Amino acid sequence: MPALVKGLRVVPDEWTLVGSGDVPDPVPERTILALEDWLPQRAALSGGRAGVWVEGDAEAEAVGPHVADLPLIAVHFPAFADGRGLSLGALLRTRYGFQGELRAYGDILPDLAQYLHRSGFDAFLLADRRSAEVAIASVGSITDHYQASVRQPVPAFRRR
Amino acid sequence: MYRYDEFDQRFIDERVAQYREQTERYLAGELTDDQFLQLRLRNGLYIQRLAPMLRIAVPYGTLSSEQLRALADISRRYDKGYGHLTTRQNVQINWPALEVVPDILGDLARVRMHCIQTSGSCIRNVTTDQFAGVAADERVDARPYCEIVRQWSTQHPEFDWLPRKFKIAFNGAAADRAAIHVHDIGIRVDRAGDDIVFDFLVGGGLGRTPAIGSVIRTELPERHLLTYLEAIMRVYNRYGRRDNKYKARIKILVRAMTPEVFRDRVDAEWEHLKDGPSTLTREEIDRVLRCFEPPAYPRREDQTALLAERRLASPGFNAWVRNNVAPHKVPGYAVVTLSTKLTGVPPGDVSDVQMDAVADWADRYGFGELRIGHEQNFVLPDVPQEHLFELWEHADAHGLASANLGLLTDIVCCPGGDYCSLANAKSIPVAEAIQREFDDYDYLHDLGPIDLNISGCMNACGHHHVGHIGILGVDKKGAEFYQIALGGHAGDDASLGKILGPSFSRDEVTGVIGKILDVYVDKRVEEEPFLHCVRRIGIAPFKERVYASAG
Repeated sequence: MPALVKGLRVVPDEWTLVGSGDVPDPVPERTILALEDWLPQRAALSGGRAGVWVEGDAEAEAVGPHVADLPLIAVHFPAFADGRGLSLGALLRTRYGFQGELRAYGDILPDLAQYLHRSGFDAFLLADRRSAEVAIASVGSITDHYQASVRQPVPAFRRR
Repeated sequence: MYRYDEFDQRFIDERVAQYREQTERYLAGELTDDQFLQLRLRNGLYIQRLAPMLRIAVPYGTLSSEQLRALADISRRYDKGYGHLTTRQNVQINWPALEVVPDILGDLARVRMHCIQTSGSCIRNVTTDQFAGVAADERVDARPYCEIVRQWSTQHPEFDWLPRKFKIAFNGAAADRAAIHVHDIGIRVDRAGDDIVFDFLVGGGLGRTPAIGSVIRTELPERHLLTYLEAIMRVYNRYGRRDNKYKARIKILVRAMTPEVFRDRVDAEWEHLKDGPSTLTREEIDRVLRCFEPPAYPRREDQTALLAERRLASPGFNAWVRNNVAPHKVPGYAVVTLSTKLTGVPPGDVSDVQMDAVADWADRYGFGELRIGHEQNFVLPDVPQEHLFELWEHADAHGLASANLGLLTDIVCCPGGDYCSLANAKSIPVAEAIQREFDDYDYLHDLGPIDLNISGCMNACGHHHVGHIGILGVDKKGAEFYQIALGGHAGDDASLGKILGPSFSRDEVTGVIGKILDVYVDKRVEEEPFLHCVRRIGIAPFKERVYASAG
């Protein structure tokens, strides 16, 4: 059973992700819609009832302007070695100032968690509870890194 | 060289523990082969044709005598007493058991070494001129900037899962000994008044689609080094192809976008990053620069007269000085290249005994520091001229004094089909056959500088595209064949070799090389080097001779 890590803890997943074109009517609270399904209905869905999902290769420019209306953005990783979602996450946090839940899902290897965490993701959906625990541990496996990140915007050389 | 502080040491110690835990999970069946593959590659561990191979990072080719002794010791305990110097200035050992790799990493960490990002689709070891800091033609010692980039690229949160491997090289000398034109990013370091500035070349590379890099930025002030790199990496990470690994290098993206559009994308990205927290501070640059300050050279007289006397008395020493000894920026000192290209030994292979000996010489005839060059040789950077003869005698006794540097038999060669699972054909026996056939030093010296490069497959680890003579192993219906190209060059006026024509069987290769050399000797004008001759007359006369007599 998939396990959600949020804020470096395993927590119940209160959101339901629906596929592209698969829009329930009415849209229940805490539904994650494809960005292209959310866009036409965004006025009706204001107030933070719905989140969106995008592929890791989505243009940050497509979702960025809407971050203020979104409580959650989920980024799909088609393969764990596909790092495009990391750049997308970093851009949503740093360039567009997204404050809500930034969730990674798809093929998430626990070892990717430290990169996700540092690129601004605060939630990752893992295959099972054991993977979730490994992921949490992996985030803490390195005390400090050299370069700046979303988590630590000041690079080590300015703190040495 | 760079001195680790507590931060650096803690990082590599924790990285060892992290990898140990990953290995344990794999052995416990919690990671699939494919998952573990990506993790072990980021720690330099390949599973090769015969056994695993571990690639140890030697950042920009600089290491201490203590580190080389540790490598000798590791090769004794975990390998069969051999190490292999690579074309990216690293050291590989073969046959380490997967289970003990974390222990090897622990041993390496004790001497401030690691295997981080020596393979996998991430930013690899940053390379530079093996003569950096001592070369007479140097404008700027690029090593401090290499170190800054090494630190920045280590487990970068965004750029460790790229479309493909990524190689960065710096050059700060008049001659380009770092092949910056054929790197994903090549950086030329120069002075503009009191300031240090960088020119950026992007999209060069070898492999199946060789390309010369395009200049996208000139005279970038040093403080912007990391933010500008970050802008390039972000454009590549987001838009580089991931559907086909043969089209995933940045050179394909640069070509598809055109260099102008690529540059504009980078500039647009950089606008957001410029002057941000990753902008280098004067304190940080100075902190790293201090690690690379020249040693306090005891004053020495220039010994040219003494050397001339010795050279006259010993033809062997004379040939070695002519080829393997380069001028030093400090009078009375010399830069010595110890060649690993002894006939019968795979290029770049060194034994534990040789490593220990070289470490001793680095202490005795220098300041305990040495280099590995991308031509797979050792370099002793600070040898007093008066000790050259003594060093030559020791090196000769250890099979490290081949006076063939830059000559035909100083072959650059990948491990090939003998070791590598990617190879289409063997490369080491081809190198050996050529070294055996052309073993007359007078003839080799008469031929002058010729770069001969051999790769066992299109991945081009032997850099065959930039060999004056480039040999590529190809597979023809299960049989090993070799394609030969002429006119490649990795220096400032870089060029890619042109393929002569249909490929040859392994038995034919040395004969074909002989005919190519005959054409050169017939057609050259006075002192014209091989490369210039090929550029002047084109490949047609070579083609004619080689295929006429073959047919």
